[in-house]
Parts: sequence; structure tokens; C-alpha cells
Amino acid sequence: MKRQKATGDRAERELVSSDLIERCKDGDEQAWKELVEATHRDVYTLCLRILGNPADAQEATQDVFLKVWRNLSSFRGEAMFSTWLYRVASNTAISKHRKRKRQRVNESGVDDEVLAQIPSPGSVESAAGAKVEVERLEEALALLPEGLREAVVLRDVYGLNIAEIAAEQKISETAAKVRVHRGRKKLKEIMFPEKPGTETEERT
Amino acid sequence: MRCEEVQEALPAHVKDGSDSLTVRRHLARCPDCKAELARYESLMGGLRILQTTSVPVPPGLFDRLLEIPARSSRLDSARDHVVRHRKVYVGGGIAVALAGAAGAALWRSKVRHPATA
Repeated sequence: MKRQKATGDRAERELVSSDLIERCKDGDEQAWKELVEATHRDVYTLCLRILGNPADAQEATQDVFLKVWRNLSSFRGEAMFSTWLYRVASNTAISKHRKRKRQRVNESGVDDEVLAQIPSPGSVESAAGAKVEVERLEEALALLPEGLREAVVLRDVYGLNIAEIAAEQKISETAAKVRVHRGRKKLKEIMFPEKPGTETEERT
Repeated sequence: MRCEEVQEALPAHVKDGSDSLTVRRHLARCPDCKAELARYESLMGGLRILQTTSVPVPPGLFDRLLEIPARSSRLDSARDHVVRHRKVYVGGGIAVALAGAAGAALWRSKVRHPATA
């Protein structure tokens, strides 16, 4: 259901016509420029959200477009181009993650020093239930442990369902569900830290 | 149902809904848990907005992406070159191996010949 909605959103934003894709397949450089111009921001953004740092995201974006260029001839147009592109991008970013095996923040907790760099909540939480600032949310996402971040980004930003996330992350559906659950919880803790004096680090 | 249990259920409840009547009943009468649910709801709203927003792209990336077709064809032709050479080398290798085998057979027959004579 949510996946449908997300796909619908993408349909409204479909900026690449089938004509443009055909011209790219023919090796038209101007067409390639138009395709890159229309899509590279979204691809870079997705890579950054999954990978959490600009250097890796840039590298992943280049890998994505190299794959797009090489595999464009196999794109038949049954799926929407943007859906295919998002799939290539999330695949590429997630495999890059797996290769790196970076030991930044482990899944047991968020790094306190990094947490301290986040501005205090200020007026983010209103009496009625709060607005969240998009910039802060991006920063908070970057602080999540990578497995949790991938799961939350794919589920709650890009609308993939649990089965799709499990397939992307090569884990069981139960594990994917747990990651989404823990990721949302952790993100909530970062965005709405407990007030001093009411420390409840892990309530479970 | 205790607040801790309800709040543990909220990350799933906020998006996928909850069939648990006890959770819903608790939420209806507990302001703390209701406020916690509101935080999760605002978080979900923010994440949905992210899908339609993009971040600034680092300078230079766009140009590097434009170079991909040329770079890719250079890589492809280099790979073709290697593949062609590999055929030559594999052919040469086989020839060397055959020559070696023939030489060895000749040597063995020469060694055997005086012994049997």
C-alpha cells in the first residue's frame, strides 16, 4: 500500500521520457546530459542517506550512473525508469556498505560525542506533537548505525515494503522488521532526546 | 498494560497500525504515551517529506557523471584489447606447452632407447 503511494509520488516526479532513454541507448551525449541533469540529485541524495557520508555517496553515485550507462540497453521500459534507477542506486549503496564494514557506530547505541553535536531540540517539539526540521532529520539519519539507517530510509523515506528491504539487505524479513523498529526508535531518541533528569536510556 | 510496553509497540504502531485493543485503549487515556505517539508521527511525516527533497550535490560530481559514456567506452576498448591479447597469449602458451611435451617425449624415448639396447 505504502509502496504504491511512494511509486505514485515518483510517477509525478518522473523526469525521464522514454524518448530520452532511447536517445541515450543510441549513444546521444546530449541525451545523457539531460538524463543526468534530471536524476543525479535524487540518486546522490539516496546514496547519501544510505551511506551517511558525502565521499562514499559521491563514489556510489558514479558507480550507479556507470551501471545505468552499461545496462540501459537491457531497460525495456516495463518498469518506470525512476523505479529502476532507485533500485540500482539502493543496491549499489548497500553493497558499498557491506564492502566497507565500517566500525563507526555499532548497533548497540549511538555515539554520545556525535549526539552532542546535534543542536538541542528547541522548538522542534510543539505541544500539539511537533514539526521536525528536515535538515536535522538528515543529520539524525546519518547518526544511525548503518543497518538501521538503510532499513529506515528504504521503508519510511522510499516506501519499500519489508520483503523488499529484506531482499536488498540479504537478511530475513523478521530481521528487516526488527531493523526498521529499532531504527525508528533510535531516530526518535535522537530527534527528541529525553529531558535532563528523566534518563531512560533503554526502557525495554 | 504498562507505559513501557505500549511505548515499545509504538515504532510499529505509528505506521503499520496496531490491532492491539489494549494499546489503543492505553493511548486513549495516557497523555505521556499519546505524546510519545505524536513524536513518532511527526518523525514519520518528516521522513515522508524527505522523499521529495534532495540535498545539494558536491561541485564536480555532475561533470564526472557526464564523462561516463566516454570513460566507459575507453574502459571497454581497453578490456577488449586485453581479451584479444589474452587469446594470443593463451595460443602461445598452448604452443609452448605442446613443444615442451614433445621435447619431453623425445628425451624420454632417447633415455629409454640406450637402456633397452
